[in-house]
Amino acid sequence: MQRRDFFKKLGLVAAASALTPAISFASETKVVSKNTMSYQTAVDAITGGKTVTVSSKIKLKVPEIAENGAVVPVTVNIDSPMTENNYVKAIHILASHNFNARSIDVYLTPANGKAMFSTRIKLGGTQDVTALVELSNGDFISASQNVKVTIGGCG
Amino acid sequence: MQKRKSLIKIKPKKFKDGEIVKVSFMVMHPMDTGTQKHKETKELIPAKFINNVKFNYNGKDITNMTVWESLSTNPVFTTYMKVDGKGTLKVTYTDNTGEVNEKSKKIKPKG
Repeated sequence: MQRRDFFKKLGLVAAASALTPAISFASETKVVSKNTMSYQTAVDAITGGKTVTVSSKIKLKVPEIAENGAVVPVTVNIDSPMTENNYVKAIHILASHNFNARSIDVYLTPANGKAMFSTRIKLGGTQDVTALVELSNGDFISASQNVKVTIGGCG
Repeated sequence: MQKRKSLIKIKPKKFKDGEIVKVSFMVMHPMDTGTQKHKETKELIPAKFINNVKFNYNGKDITNMTVWESLSTNPVFTTYMKVDGKGTLKVTYTDNTGEVNEKSKKIKPKG
């Protein structure tokens, strides 16, 4: 092998090795969520255009002032006998100003015995938290409360 | 597949057949929304969140949940359940990246 050839090859290898990491970085796809949903579209998607009535049957327990938006405890209690003919079909928890308004959809059955659900959600700022409840006869009822958030929890 | 710490809690601890008990399921999961930035590298953290949780008691699905991003890190799911004889409570949870895990607890009513 001549000296000239050797340097040519060396140059090629160096160029190739410099390029490969750049290519691998570019082709790496990031899994970023695309579930952006406004409050109104979320409600329409759940109810399918049916009217929602505000009811005192739902007891929504959320703190009025949440210091940390990353952990906000939410408890939904519904006054229902939970029998085969009359039970709570679904509980939807919605946050009006999060980039995805839907937080959780819970589908209950009469085997639950009591219509109650509790969890912890993230809130991006001061907004309303709504519990949208579907009954077994197809009616929708809701209850909402405003929550003041000091530090947002959605980044 | 990563192994995750999870726990099923039943209150009260001692219960009779036919009683309605409180069931809590907790899991150690990051629940990344995909909009947060890493503190040092300033890059977006890719989304990784639980999107489905199922409570199965003696082969019957009692509660099914569709979960979105805005649940807190290390989420807790609390609901009630009617005890109907001896059996097992199995909780299956799925991730948006395709991770499937499950946790089960034996249910022994006394009296």
